[in-house]
Amino acid sequence: MRPLSEVLQDWEAIIGLEIHTELTTLETKMFCGCKLSHDDEPNANVCPICLGMPGALPVPNEKAIESIVMAGIATNCEVMRRSMFYRKHYFYPDMAKNFQTTQGPVAFVMHGHLDLEVSGDGARERPEGAIEKAPDGSYVAPIRILRIHMEEDAAKMNHLGGAEGRIGGATESLIDYNRCGTPLIELVTEPDLRTPEEARLFMEKLRQIFLTLGISDCSLEHGSMRCDGNVSLRRRGTRELGTKSELKNLNSFKSLHDALAYEICRQAEVLESGGIVLQETRHWEPSRKRTVVMRVKETADDYRMYPDPDLVPFDLSDEFVERCRARVPELPDAKRSRYVSAWGLKPYDAARIAGEPAMASLFEAAAQAVDTSEVPMVANVVVNLVFGREDLMPRQVAGLARLLAGDAITFAQARELVELVAGTDRDPEKTADERGLRQSTDVQALADIVETVLQTCDDQVRQYRAGNKKVVGFLVGQCMKASHGNGNPKLFHQLLTQRLES
Amino acid sequence: MARLDELSARQIAAGIAAGDFTATEVAEAALEAVSERDAQVQAFLQVSADLALQAAAATDAARAAGRPLGVLAGVPVAFKDNMNLMGTRTTCASRMLEPYESAYTATCVQRLLDAGATPLGKLNMDEFAFGSTTDSSAFHPTNNPWDLSRVPGGSSGGSAAAVASGEVTIALGTDTGGSIRQPAALCGVVGMKPSYGMVSRYGVVAFGSSLDQVGPLARRVEDVAVTMGALTHGGRDCHDATSQDATRDFLSHLEDGVEGCAIGIIPALMEAEGLAPEVRSAMAVAAQRLETAGARIVEVDLPNMASAISAYYVIASCEAFSNLARFDGVRYGYQEPGCKTLAEQSALSRAHGFGPEAKRRQMLGAYLLASGIYDAYYLPAQQVRTLITADYERAFVQVDAILMPTSPTAAWKHGAISDPAALYLADIFTISNNIAGNCGISVPVMLGEESGLPIGAQLQGPAFADARLLTIARALEQAGDAAGMVAPSFAGGGGEL
Amino acid sequence: MSPDQPLTREDVAGIAEYARIALTDDELDEMCAYLRDAVALLEPIREYDLAGVEPTFHPIGALTNVVREDVVVAGLSLEEALANAASRRGSSFRVPAILGDGGAA
Ligand SMILES: [Mg+2]
Ligand SMILES: [Zn+2]
Repeated sequence: MRPLSEVLQDWEAIIGLEIHTELTTLETKMFCGCKLSHDDEPNANVCPICLGMPGALPVPNEKAIESIVMAGIATNCEVMRRSMFYRKHYFYPDMAKNFQTTQGPVAFVMHGHLDLEVSGDGARERPEGAIEKAPDGSYVAPIRILRIHMEEDAAKMNHLGGAEGRIGGATESLIDYNRCGTPLIELVTEPDLRTPEEARLFMEKLRQIFLTLGISDCSLEHGSMRCDGNVSLRRRGTRELGTKSELKNLNSFKSLHDALAYEICRQAEVLESGGIVLQETRHWEPSRKRTVVMRVKETADDYRMYPDPDLVPFDLSDEFVERCRARVPELPDAKRSRYVSAWGLKPYDAARIAGEPAMASLFEAAAQAVDTSEVPMVANVVVNLVFGREDLMPRQVAGLARLLAGDAITFAQARELVELVAGTDRDPEKTADERGLRQSTDVQALADIVETVLQTCDDQVRQYRAGNKKVVGFLVGQCMKASHGNGNPKLFHQLLTQRLES
Repeated sequence: MARLDELSARQIAAGIAAGDFTATEVAEAALEAVSERDAQVQAFLQVSADLALQAAAATDAARAAGRPLGVLAGVPVAFKDNMNLMGTRTTCASRMLEPYESAYTATCVQRLLDAGATPLGKLNMDEFAFGSTTDSSAFHPTNNPWDLSRVPGGSSGGSAAAVASGEVTIALGTDTGGSIRQPAALCGVVGMKPSYGMVSRYGVVAFGSSLDQVGPLARRVEDVAVTMGALTHGGRDCHDATSQDATRDFLSHLEDGVEGCAIGIIPALMEAEGLAPEVRSAMAVAAQRLETAGARIVEVDLPNMASAISAYYVIASCEAFSNLARFDGVRYGYQEPGCKTLAEQSALSRAHGFGPEAKRRQMLGAYLLASGIYDAYYLPAQQVRTLITADYERAFVQVDAILMPTSPTAAWKHGAISDPAALYLADIFTISNNIAGNCGISVPVMLGEESGLPIGAQLQGPAFADARLLTIARALEQAGDAAGMVAPSFAGGGGEL
Repeated sequence: MSPDQPLTREDVAGIAEYARIALTDDELDEMCAYLRDAVALLEPIREYDLAGVEPTFHPIGALTNVVREDVVVAGLSLEEALANAASRRGSSFRVPAILGDGGAA
């Protein structure tokens, strides 16, 4: 197969995503009062309703509807005032009623969009000329959202006797209805995505928005956020859409990117060799880096959908919608801009922090406790030392930032300090004093280290003198190592330069 | 000494409160009546003697402790077997659910228990409520207490027969297209289909979710009114999204009479094909009695009623297909043994668990909902529903209730009508009411001139005017002589207190 | 399938397969006859002039937005949940091999 970059010169990939997100932060399921379970024993959280017992009836969870309306507002969707739940029938025991309660032609929220900022290597997947790009190669891709609708999740099936827990070859299957009925929102994009990188970015951006809204833990790993991709190809410059295949099991950002990339190249190969792309559902196998056919769709599925007579229509009031709007917090894009403009953060740091609500609140709280000039250092600490950790208090992060900004400790010492104070109420500044963790500025002691290092690094000294001034970085590293991380790297740099230039 | 089947629910509760007899004595007398009479009537699928005696003991204990007693204290009741009651199986008279032990208790059942009722058991029905004879029960037919060679009607045939034979004071049934009113008429008892949303459907196995309503059958309008009070007590049920707050006082205006009321009749309907002459003349008698009691008789029209049958069968079949999809033998119910694949297990469990009519209705629903077909039938049926509802609204501007037959004929012999399509037509007078969600009640008028069997008159009222409808029904009842009547061959038997 | 074409035996067999109802050959014949008769009975619905008439899917008047609070309610115990299952393994419901593709939430 030809590489993606080459394929995309000749072919345009038309990509649409369907992203299912479980509303894991709610207390109960969509239509019954069962607790949302995470790691409970199979069938520990079930009731007559989610087991589809004879006579049981659904009643919708109000909070779930608030969540989907918030999701719609945050993705620039229109809130549809009047909508209904429908029954979507398919006989499969993961849905206890043999139909899924979902929404009909009108979803709670529809017709939204998100703008993707694509930069760096990933931006190169869109060939030159296909979209207007900035001088640095970055571009903005507007992606329309068709709809976000509310539905219920299916039970978990465990297939026994076959390979890898897959259905093929299994001799029996076990069903755990704990997940059955979990509130699920399904976002469907318009087919506006053109590269695997854009698909990856879209998913990432959506995840950051949903995390910020607090409506889901958005764990791809645990399946609370799942993505299916549709992809078809057409020759650059033509309009007619090709046959699409549907990709499943895209349960990491990498899988999403790589599966689409593989599928685009595969389809190109099929088409270039005169074949036809079949309308298929394909499964991504990350270990073998390929997609394999799950089933061929000869005819469209007929789900015999009709309005669920057990659930009355929704007619959302202005007041309800405004209440949801008021609960939408500052979203990642706005946060990022504010961090850059108000505090002068590097765009990369600002974006990383703004995308993770827990990190954003840690950062903002710590930023309150330092001088404005030290805020970028707080961002540095958050991004490079404590990202993703939940065991540090804002004042500890502020303390670390102050120590680093004042050149009192090295980065290596800061890393050590993090471990010493994490999960306790210890103050980093005091702890640094107690442990003697202060960066050494004793010029004589550092000069001695420089001498020792230079003696063992003849090669690098020669390179430097031959004009390769970059090796000084390596030498500073060696000095830091020899000082067990306690030396001041700036002083080392100075001393080394003096010594080498002399 | 009192005979249990001669007492009204209020008399039973009052007798227990006054210490004339205990709830346990009532329960024992009722169980005796069941064991004596049901061999012939076959109204019951399960008799829950233990539950009955426990409930009665609890009522007696409550009285002894000086706690207030419910309005149905000690009153013997039984439930159509599509209602979940913990401690009983809920079979829907189907092999499919034969082994199913109720996992919970339906709200309507619980509310009667909360009112102090004594649960005697579960009653026969047409399988999954598809039918109007009770002959399609997978277990056995039920016999009409007035003539054991005849059907009791259906689908709540067990409920009507148990009441008519004096086995229970009150039974609950469900009515999707006439399934309470028609057997009530055929068995000579009172049967009410409340307005849609009046009584919770939670825990009642669904047939047509937008049509189904739970309602009482009894030998007196007053007992029906007392039961309606218990069913709606506590307001809307938070487990049924379509239920509405319908707490009403059904009793204090029950005896108000019909002075100044307007009762509608539809002359065209009296010319309907298949309407027995004795039913037509009974309707004239009913109208006469209401007029004598002070009501005005007004001619009204429901011009779209002719299309009700088609609309009803489309909606009911589509909803039935979907509601019965869950019965696949995986979580409960009949499972075909020895299957190697899931598809085989599902298809054979359903083929062998369901009877013929249940399969037919599901097949029809699955066809009507298919893409390409949906727009031709399902959507128009729901549009016709709008027209029928509007017809009723117009009529109810003029009149308080509409009088019409419940069934075109009196009870027929077992097996006399076998063509399903002919049976569908027998529902002509009852189904529009379900389509519109209005309330309706069947009241015994007289014995047919020709058949000598009970003939019921149906009264239909606007949605949520159920209390008013009961008042009119009471006036009609009072003008006749059938109130409290047990079918003659069972009157005077056991069950003494 | 089209409402203007009579139901074929193949159509009926296809519906039965979809609805997971195994039919013998004789039953299939009977079912075809029944469905044709039943559909004929429903025919009047197609002859109505319904332009501009809104459908009434729910006979509930103006009732809308019925919801419940997001509060946990005790459900069934594990034993209660599995009590009615004909086949189970451990605390799960069990079904035989599933051939082909499955659900699509
Ligand atoms: Mg979906
Ligand atoms: Zn549940």
